[in-house]
Amino acid sequence: MALPDDKELESILGDGVDLTTFKQILEMDEPGDNEFSTSIVFGFFEQAEETFERMDVALDEKDLEKLSELGHFLKGSSATLGLIKVRDGCEKIQRYGKQENLDGSPEPDADVCLARVKEALMAVKSDYEEVEIGLKKFYDKDDEDEDGA
Amino acid sequence: MSGTEAAAAQGGGGNNASEFVRKLFRMLEDPSHQDVARWGKDGDSFVVVEGEKFTRSILPKHFKHSNMSSFIRQLNKYDFHKVKPSTDGDSTSPNGNILEFKHPYFRVDSKDDLDNIRRKAPATRKPQVAEDFTTSQHVSVISEQLTATQQQVQQLQELFADVSQTNRLLVNEVLTLQKMLNAQKQAQYEMLNYLSPYNHNRNNGMMGHQMNSNGSMPTAEGDEAVPELRRARELLSSVPADTVADRELERLHDIYESPADSATMVTPVSMPMMHDPMNDISRYPVYPVGQTVGIDPFHSDHINKIPYAIPNEGSSGPMDQHQQHQQHTPQPGSSGQMNNAPGTSGSMDKPASLWGPKKPVVFLVEDDPTCAKIGIKFLKSMGCDVEHANNGAEAFSRVSTVGRDHFDLIFMDIIMPRLDGVSATMYIRQHCPTTPIIAMTSNIRPDEVNGYFEHGMNGVLAKPFTKEGMLKSVKTNMQHLLKNPPSQSDNGHGPGFLMNVPYLSTTGNSIKFESPTPPAGASGSNWSSGHMSQNGVDQSFGLMDGSNQYNISQNRGGYSTMDASSGRISDHDSPPEKRQRLNNSQRNYA
Repeated sequence: MALPDDKELESILGDGVDLTTFKQILEMDEPGDNEFSTSIVFGFFEQAEETFERMDVALDEKDLEKLSELGHFLKGSSATLGLIKVRDGCEKIQRYGKQENLDGSPEPDADVCLARVKEALMAVKSDYEEVEIGLKKFYDKDDEDEDGA
Repeated sequence: MSGTEAAAAQGGGGNNASEFVRKLFRMLEDPSHQDVARWGKDGDSFVVVEGEKFTRSILPKHFKHSNMSSFIRQLNKYDFHKVKPSTDGDSTSPNGNILEFKHPYFRVDSKDDLDNIRRKAPATRKPQVAEDFTTSQHVSVISEQLTATQQQVQQLQELFADVSQTNRLLVNEVLTLQKMLNAQKQAQYEMLNYLSPYNHNRNNGMMGHQMNSNGSMPTAEGDEAVPELRRARELLSSVPADTVADRELERLHDIYESPADSATMVTPVSMPMMHDPMNDISRYPVYPVGQTVGIDPFHSDHINKIPYAIPNEGSSGPMDQHQQHQQHTPQPGSSGQMNNAPGTSGSMDKPASLWGPKKPVVFLVEDDPTCAKIGIKFLKSMGCDVEHANNGAEAFSRVSTVGRDHFDLIFMDIIMPRLDGVSATMYIRQHCPTTPIIAMTSNIRPDEVNGYFEHGMNGVLAKPFTKEGMLKSVKTNMQHLLKNPPSQSDNGHGPGFLMNVPYLSTTGNSIKFESPTPPAGASGSNWSSGHMSQNGVDQSFGLMDGSNQYNISQNRGGYSTMDASSGRISDHDSPPEKRQRLNNSQRNYA
C-alpha cells in the first residue's frame, strides 16, 4: 500500500500522533499489508489498557512509586509510536509519582501528588481513547482501501 | 605506741638486734648518768637507781618518752626479768628504790648476744605480717598491670594519630586527584573546541593519536596561535602532582601491607577500601524489593547500590563463570573480526547488504514490548540478526551462556524490571569487556548520560529512537563488519555531536552518541524538551568523560598509588571500582 499523505493521515489520526514518528513504523510494513504496524499498534492498545488498570490499582493503594514506574513504562512505548499526548500524560504521571512538580522540583505532599496523578491519569486516558479511535479508524480505512482496490 | 615501737624495733638496725635492746645497751654505755642507770655488779644485769630521775631525763633522751611503766612493759616483752633486791651491802640507796633487770643474753661483755633477745610471743603477729606481704604482692602486680595498660593506651594513641594522619593524607590525595580530574575535563573540553572545526583539514590519525596521549601535545607548529590549546595545557599543568603526598601515601600503603608491622591493627580496617570489589560483587545489597515494573538505577534510593544484585538464579554463578572465561580467552581486543565463521546466519537479507561476510548479531534488551518489537524490526531491516531479552537479568544470563563474541552490539534499556540496564552492563562487562553496549533510554540528563559511560556503556541512543538514529549507532559501533567500512570521517555529520571528532571515528570502540533526530519541525513535541538541544555540548563532554581511555587513565592515576603493589589494575577496569570513586566526583561535572 502506498503511504497516505500527511494531510490525510493527520485528518484521521488527529493531533495526538506525531506523524514523522508514526510513519517510521508504517515504513517498516511489507508492501501490501500493515501486518507489522498493526501488530505494534494493537499490541500497544493491549499494553496501554493493562497499564491503565495497574495504575488504577496503584492509585487505590496510594503507591506513588509504582505509578511513577508505570508512567515511565507507558511513556516509552507511546513515545516510540509517536503518540505524543499519551506520552506527555505519562511523563506527568511519572513525575508526580516521583513526588516532583512538572519542573522537577520536589513536592513533599504525597496527597497533592496523588491528586495530581489522578487528574493526569484521567486526562491521559481520554487522550488515549481519542488516539485509539483515530488509529482504529486508520486501519479500518486501510482495509476499506484495500477492499476497494 | 608499743605497737609502733615494736615494729620499729623489729625492722631496725644494721645487726639483727632489736632497736629497743640496742638503745638499752647504748644507754648503759653512756657514762653521763652512771649514777642513775648502770650495769649491775656482775655485768649480767642492769640497774636503775633513781626511778624518778630516770623517767625524767634518761627515758626522753634514749627512748623519746617518759613513761616508766611503758619502759617496764617493753622489758617484759623482751623477756627481761626483774631481779629481786638483794640484801647485800652493796646497796647505796637505803630507801630501796632500786630496780634491777636481767636477761640471759644481756651482758656487758657480749654485745653479739643481743641478737638473741627477742620479743616474746611474736607468733601472734606473724599471720598479719604474711597478709601484708601478699597484699603488697597484689599491689605490685596491679601496678605492673596499670603500667602495661598505660603503655597500651599510649600505643593506641600513637596508632590513632597515625591513622588520622593517613586519613588526612588520603583525603588530600583524593581531593588533588579530583582537582586534576576536573582540570583534565576542562582541558579536554578546550581541545575539543579547537579540534572540532579543524577536523576536515587535519590528518585524522594523527589527531587521534594526540588525543590518546592525553594532553601531552607536541609543542610543534604554531601552538601559540591556538589559545584553546594553550589554555588546555595550562589547565593541565595548573594542578601539580603532589609527589610528596604520593610518596608518603605509598609509604603508608607499604606499612599497611605488611601485617607484621606495628600497624597491624589498622590493616583490617583499611583493607576493605583497597579490596577489589570485583571479587565481592555479590555482597552488594539487594535494592528495590518487589519491583515489577522497572528499576531506575539512578533513583536516589539506590544509586549507591549499583549494581543491583542479580535476582535469584545464578547469583553466585556469574563470577565463577566469568573467571573461567577469562582463563581461556586470550585477547579481548579483536572481538568480532576474525572468529565467527561467515554466513552462519541467513535470514531475510533483502536490503542490499550493508554488511561484509559476517552478519552482525545484535542483542536488544528492552522490557517494553512496543519498543522491543519496533527495535527488532528496525535492526532486522538493517540486515542484523537480533536477539531480545526482557530485562537485565535475562540479558546477563544469555550473555553468560553464549560466547563472549556472540554479540556484536548490545542495545540496553536502562529502567527495567528485575535488573536495570546499568547493573546488567556491569555484569556483562566482566564477561565481555569489549562488546559495545548502547544505553537506550529517555533518561538523558547529562548526569545520567555520564553515569552510563561511567558504568561501562559505550553510547546512548535516546528514546524514542528512530530508525535513522539506530542505524547510525549500528554502523558506528560495528564498522569492522561493514561491507564498505568508512575510510575516514564520512559517517555522517550528526548536528553538533561527537561524530565529528576525529579520534572517535578512528578508534573503532570508543564513543558514539546518536542524535534522536527529533520529529521534523514539531518543536513542541520534542521529547524531553530542552535537554537535547540545550545541552548537546555538555552531553558531548559527558561522553568524553565516559570514554574507556579516559577512565582507564583515571584509574591508573587513582589506583597506582593506592594499590600499586597488588597489580590489580586491568585495562578493563571493574565497574564497581569506578563507581566507588566516581560517585564522589560525579556531580562536579558541568
